[in-house]
Formats: sequence, structure tokens, C-alpha cells
Amino acid sequence: MKRKVGLLLLFLSAVSTGFLPAYNGQGAGNAFAAGAEEKGDAIALTETEWKAPDQMAAQIRAAEEVPFVGKVKEECLCVRQQRLRDKGLSTKDITHRYFLLDSPLIRKEEDQYGPVRFMHSKHAAVLKDCALCHHYRPVDPEAPETTRCSACHQESFQEEYPERIGLKAAYHLQCTKCHKDMQEGPVGCTGCHKKNVPDHEKLVQLPEKPEPTQVTEECLRCHQKAGEDMLSSAHWLWKGHSPYTMERRKEVLHGKGTTVINNF
Amino acid sequence: MNLTRRNFFRLAGAAGAAAAIKEKPAYAWQSKAPPDPYGCLVDLTRCIGCRKCEAACNRVNLLPPPDVSFDDQRVLDEKRRPDERTYTVINRYYSGKTDDRDQLIPTFVKVQCMHCQDPACVSACIVGALSKKENGAVHYDVSKCIGCRYCMVACPFEIPAYDYHNPLTPEVRKCTFCYERISEQGGRPGCAAICPVEAITFGKRSTLLQLAKDRIKKNPAVYTDRIYGEKEAGGTSWLYISAVPFEKTGFIPVPSEPLPKRSESIQHSLFSYLWSPIALYGILGGIMWTSGKKGAGEKQAPGGEK
Repeated sequence: MKRKVGLLLLFLSAVSTGFLPAYNGQGAGNAFAAGAEEKGDAIALTETEWKAPDQMAAQIRAAEEVPFVGKVKEECLCVRQQRLRDKGLSTKDITHRYFLLDSPLIRKEEDQYGPVRFMHSKHAAVLKDCALCHHYRPVDPEAPETTRCSACHQESFQEEYPERIGLKAAYHLQCTKCHKDMQEGPVGCTGCHKKNVPDHEKLVQLPEKPEPTQVTEECLRCHQKAGEDMLSSAHWLWKGHSPYTMERRKEVLHGKGTTVINNF
Repeated sequence: MNLTRRNFFRLAGAAGAAAAIKEKPAYAWQSKAPPDPYGCLVDLTRCIGCRKCEAACNRVNLLPPPDVSFDDQRVLDEKRRPDERTYTVINRYYSGKTDDRDQLIPTFVKVQCMHCQDPACVSACIVGALSKKENGAVHYDVSKCIGCRYCMVACPFEIPAYDYHNPLTPEVRKCTFCYERISEQGGRPGCAAICPVEAITFGKRSTLLQLAKDRIKKNPAVYTDRIYGEKEAGGTSWLYISAVPFEKTGFIPVPSEPLPKRSESIQHSLFSYLWSPIALYGILGGIMWTSGKKGAGEKQAPGGEK
């Protein structure tokens, strides 16, 4: 037992004085190389990324131009809800289970985010109330009770219909409002969208077998702010705000950042 | 001495009477506001503070890249003002309202040039570098500007900024209302076009005013019953509606009278028919005449004693 403790102490002192090369540059370099291999695997994986079986159909549907519905029937939500219930509309009447919200109208101004994959059936099954999203119907009595969002919401700032918001705003306001009210579902950008990050394969300029410091420098070439942020964070200082603890402060009396020297 | 004093009061009285006659001058101030300008309605209840408008503004106006990325929400921790490198900023305010989970509800406020109907900056500009265009934009012409910065002093919303770091070709810089873009058919300002929730609605000012009134009328529990920009500074092309009082969200209280009305009325009535310089020189001449008479008498008196 005593011998074991002695060995442990020896091991600890060896680490602290740097005899054991556990975390020196070479080790980190190897770790990075391993990371690069994993990255290669990840690329291979994205090529065979899973796609919804009806993805193509959804894409074609998203690109379709829908005839514009100008006038809608003015009725209050309760009346509409009751009417839809009386008609017996249910999830069985759904024609498309899945939508890709990728109308060309949406990508007109910017293309920073990927399209939202909207699970129509799931939302219908959970909410059991078509009128929450299909809030109005066309005045034409021949028209079906529910229409696509893009039938009414198309271009923004139309002079004839100033209150009619564009398709993108309609999606954003409808989705996030409901998600907030129900405290369910994402409300931030990347909760629904995939962010179109520029391809780093072409951006990163590194030699064949880079040194770890070279990699850091290359990252900092563009992400300078991220580097500064890191230096002021608890990951670097070993102390700082702790937003998830009581009173937002975690008092550290001993250890890294306080009483121990040479721990960075 | 007695006579001099009397003369002085006579002259002063005459000048005062002249001024009193001119109290209601031939000059009556008239608004030069365009009849059917464009405008933007900012609905603060919709704004989510994503700063996309700032990014779009930077892009379409070819402004220098920002110090902090437009994706970084931490800049909202402090209050900012537009400057020569940023024509618009978003500020975050907490009015004290909380949601049902006791979280403070933020209100995001977009700040940029309000494009007044009767802009004080245009009135103050002595070379006509600033002008109010028919489409509503307060337009800046750098070729005319002499850099006096009177516009910066005049603006009640503290908007125009100056290129202090550019010693050779400095400019006054402010939101352009994307003048070139909105002059084209179907054109819209960069910020309004990109807003993902249409917190900014672009259109004719008259339409927007009606739209704002309708929204307030339909949701009286949501909005405060006021449109900022409807009457402020005689009306502005940019309009705001909000859920919290405008005083709590950094909006500057501005008189409802067009600002050039007072200054131009004073100036134009002072100088109509050149009456005020004539009166001034008349008074001065009168003083000279009387004091000259007195001086001649005094001169004669000591001369007589000699």
C-alpha cells in the first residue's frame, strides 16, 4: 500500500516537472494527426448523409410557384377552429408529410442558412389544430380549406396588401411565436437551420505536417476575436463567471488559478 | 445731457415700434416636405435583435468591416450610436417587463437617421449639401459639403457623424435611406429587405401610418398608443411602434413642431426687407449723432476756458 502511494507521488512529481512527455508538443501533434484522420472519415460520412426518402419531391415542391391568393376570409380564430373541427379535418387528410421550406423567395436576399426541414405530420399530430398555422382561408368558396403558406405570403412590402408579410417573415414569426408560447421547439437560428459555413478545405492554408502552433496561428488568422475571447474565459484563466451556479459566482479557494503556480 | 437722454429714448422707442410692426412679417414659414415620401415602419415588438440589418447596411453601403462580427450578440450589452462606419445600430433595452418564466423581456431598438419631413440638418446646411428628396431620403452630396458640421449640431436625433479619422477627404456620414436603391422600381433599403421577421416594413409613409394605426387598434393590449415619428420633429419618414413607452427605450424626446420652423421664422423675419440691419444702423447712427453733439459741446467748453 505504502509503495503504491509512493509510486503515485513519484508519477505526479514527474508530470509536474515535465519529465513525462504526456502533453508536450509531440503528443499534441499526434493527437492532431489523429483528428485529421477522423475528419477524413467525417467527410466520407457526409457523402453518404441520410436523406429523407421524399427529399427530392420536397425540393421540387419548394421550388414550385404557387398562384397568389389576394383576399382571405376574415374570421376569428375560434370560429375557424370550430369550423375545421366540424369538418372533421385530421392528420389523415394531410397530403404531404414533409416540407422543405426552400422557396426561391426566401433565398433572395441572403443565403447564410440552409432550408428548414419542416415535419408537417408531426406538427399536426402534436397540435391537433390545423387553424393554428392555417389561420385564414381564401375567400373563394371553391378553394380548399387549408392552403400552403406561400399561397398568401410571397413578396414582402406589397403595396396593395401592406399588412401581408412576406414568406420568410411569415415563417419566422409563426414558428418562433408558437415555439415560445408553447415553450417547445427551437427559437434560435441554428435550431432549425443548418448554417452555411464556408468550405474550410479551401480557406485553411497549412503545410503538409503542421506544427500545433502553426495550426493555432492559422485559425487565429481569421478568428482573431475567438482567440481573444478564449484568453478571457475560464478555460484559460481557470476562474471566472459561472453562470449556472448560485448567485453566478463560484468561489475557488485552492487549485488552478489561485494557489497553484505553473498550471497553464 | 437731458436732451441727449430724451433723444436716445425717442430713437429706441422708434426702433421698438418698427420691430413691433414687423412682428407679423410678410414671411410665413412653409413646410417643404415632399407630399408622398417613402418611409419605414419599425415594429419593436417583432425585432429579435439579430443584427442582420446592421450587416446588410454594411454590405450595401460598402462600409468598412466592423471590429466585432455581426453575429456577436455581446455588443448589445452596451448602448451604441451610429457613427461614420456604421449607419445603423441595434440597442437592447430592458423595460422591466417579464414573461411568465420571470425572464426580462428585451426590447431591441434600431437607430438610424429618421429622415425627417422637414429636416433640421437640411435647414442648417449653408451650402445645400443636404437635401430632402421627393422619395423621402435626406440626401448628402459630398461634392458640396464644406465640413462645417452644422448638420451635426442641428440634428435633434444626434445622427450625422463625421469622418474625423480621415484628414484629407472627410465626409459627414449617416444613413442614406439607400437612396439609389429605393429610387429604382421595386427597390428597398438593405435593412428592410433582409429583416427576417419584417420588423421593418418599407412603403409609402401614408400607407405605413395607416398600417401602424391598424396594428395598434387591433392589438391595444400589445402596443402603446403612440407612433414615434408621426409628429416628432414635424414628422419623420421612419416610424416606430412599440410595446413599451418610447421614453424607456432610448428614444429622444423631440418637439412636435418642425425644427426649422422656429429657426427659419426668426431668421427670415429678422432679415425680411433688411429691416433689422437698417434699424440697428439707425440706432447706432442715432447714438453717434447725439454723442457727437455732446462731445462737440464738451470740446468747445474746455476750449472756451483756455
